[in-house]
Amino acid sequence: MTPVLDVEGLKKNYGQLEALKGISFKVDRGEIFGLIGPNGAGKTTTLRIIATLLTPSDGRVAFLGFDLRKNPEKFREKISYLPEEAGAYRNMKGQDYLEFMARFYGRNEGEVKEYVARGQQISDLGVRLKDKVGTYSKGMTRKLLLARALMTKPALAILDEPTSGLDVINSLEVRETIKRFAGEGVSVLLSSHNMLEVEFLSDRVALIDRGQILDSGSSQALKDKYQAPNLEIVFKNSVRSNI
Amino acid sequence: MKNFGHLLVKEIKELINKQLIISLAMMLLIFSFIGNVTKKEMKKAISKQKIAILDLDKSELSKNLIGTLNMANFIIEEQNGEKEEVVKKLQQSDLGLLVIIPPGFSQEVSNLKSVEVETYSYLRGISISGTRTSEVVRAVLDTTNDFLSNQFLKEKLPEINPAEIKAPIKNREFIMVKDRMAEGSSAAVIGTLYAQSYILPIILMMIIMYSSQMVITAIAMEKQNKTLETLLTVPISRQAIAMAKMLAAGLVGLLSAAIYLYGFQMAFSFPTDELSSATGGLAPILKQLGLTIDTQGYVLFGLSLFLAILCALSIATILGVLAEDYRTAQSLNIPLVFLILVPYFISLFADINTMSLPAKILVLAIPFSHPFFAMQNMMFGHMGMFWLGLAYNLAFVIVMLIWTTRIFATDRVLTMKLKWGRKKVVL
Repeated sequence: MTPVLDVEGLKKNYGQLEALKGISFKVDRGEIFGLIGPNGAGKTTTLRIIATLLTPSDGRVAFLGFDLRKNPEKFREKISYLPEEAGAYRNMKGQDYLEFMARFYGRNEGEVKEYVARGQQISDLGVRLKDKVGTYSKGMTRKLLLARALMTKPALAILDEPTSGLDVINSLEVRETIKRFAGEGVSVLLSSHNMLEVEFLSDRVALIDRGQILDSGSSQALKDKYQAPNLEIVFKNSVRSNI
Repeated sequence: MKNFGHLLVKEIKELINKQLIISLAMMLLIFSFIGNVTKKEMKKAISKQKIAILDLDKSELSKNLIGTLNMANFIIEEQNGEKEEVVKKLQQSDLGLLVIIPPGFSQEVSNLKSVEVETYSYLRGISISGTRTSEVVRAVLDTTNDFLSNQFLKEKLPEINPAEIKAPIKNREFIMVKDRMAEGSSAAVIGTLYAQSYILPIILMMIIMYSSQMVITAIAMEKQNKTLETLLTVPISRQAIAMAKMLAAGLVGLLSAAIYLYGFQMAFSFPTDELSSATGGLAPILKQLGLTIDTQGYVLFGLSLFLAILCALSIATILGVLAEDYRTAQSLNIPLVFLILVPYFISLFADINTMSLPAKILVLAIPFSHPFFAMQNMMFGHMGMFWLGLAYNLAFVIVMLIWTTRIFATDRVLTMKLKWGRKKVVL
């Protein structure tokens, strides 16, 4: 079966700095694939390349078998990206924001309405959707943005620190939502500093450090391999063994 | 195209926000207030002037003089009493000028001796109508002298028209523009052209400044509010994103400039009845000289303006990409404003055609310069300059648009930043 996402030898240089040194991984349909690593490891750069924001210096990204570089616009119809530090238009009402974004994806009015209804349900903001985004707390904005990212049921959802800024309860709800959408066939590529979150969410994870993937596999397989009780220790041991 | 329209509507809505509406409404209110005050002052200044006259001679001649002043557009308030008393008394009134005809006035004039008529101007503040006092004094004296000399000449040379003796040389003035000629006053023609066209550079400056300011701010705000990354990943071409921002800024800039212009005209337009009747007389002369613009001319001017706006928008878009936030955007807009002010001031105070070649090249290298001089070039037949300006701006726009869309199509839109500290552009 063709993977939804196939990344091969991905490199990115910023001048002299090698941000990515040749990263390869695959994501299957309905799979949640997590990238974990410290700040500056290359997680966000990887996600931004796949989200068509950055062009890779080398390597190949294939989405549903098609080369990302050849037709990024077509690619954008089937993906959605939630950046770590994202915002929404402050002068728009939450409801209008969802509709504004849905119109880019909906082929007809029926689809737009369907996306907006799903967005309302995911955001769980209720009547506050009628208020302007500028009046939202950080957590509310994050929920709105996550709703925007998932409401179109994209083939691939790229989520950078999806629970950033959320409290414990909201974080749990968001994780449940992500799991539910993966169950419905949405492939998810996510990154997080929170290794416990990634462990809970991901079917497979990749440990990334200094622009390279140190190891990858299911959380359990990695814990077994590094004889560690959780992914934090796995990461620590894998860094040691790669020095 | 559907997505472009959708994005364009959002961009326009973002730009026409509460702050913009309030500031435009406030501006209209302020201009309306200024307009009311200045128009009242202007009306006062051009209305019939009331003057006080103290006739201490009480002769036939002095009465005739008062009658002449009365006919010469002055409202006369005759005074009685001692000179000092009247001078003091009038300080308490609203009269601005007192003319005192001295005793023996008639006698001195009959003896062909010069005679002193005293005038007292009462200054009660600084205003437009106040500045008219000196003109009124001059007009009173001119009328008086004219009256007296006419009296004398009529008496001594009754068969000759006094006007012919006083001004034996008459001037027949002709104006040449290229190969066209018309009879009329060059000062009046230049005055009329200037009065008709002084507003044009202001409109141009406002449209270009507003539009560029808006597009820089729109992009900088997308960056500051962290919405740009999301927008760049939705299914719409990057070129369309750039174009939607430019078009929205252009349209809202145009609208704001139109409102500003309306306010400006409310505040500073002179009573048009007099002006239109004055220019109405010159209209055939202007037409004869080819100093009028026909429909085709306005279309060409519109084209020149449109290209200049596109130049400004494309430069502003790149500056917006360089800006990290709203504050940086404001400072990045300053050099652009200076570039717009150069042709603005030159078009108001200098003639581009008489400038030295290096200065001329420098001014014309600024793409916004061309519409400022387009009308003048068309009216005075410098069509070569006009077409060259149009071609230059077209080439400029094409290069800038290609560059802009390339920036938007690559990751430079996110990575290009102007770092003030290090003073270098990171591409």
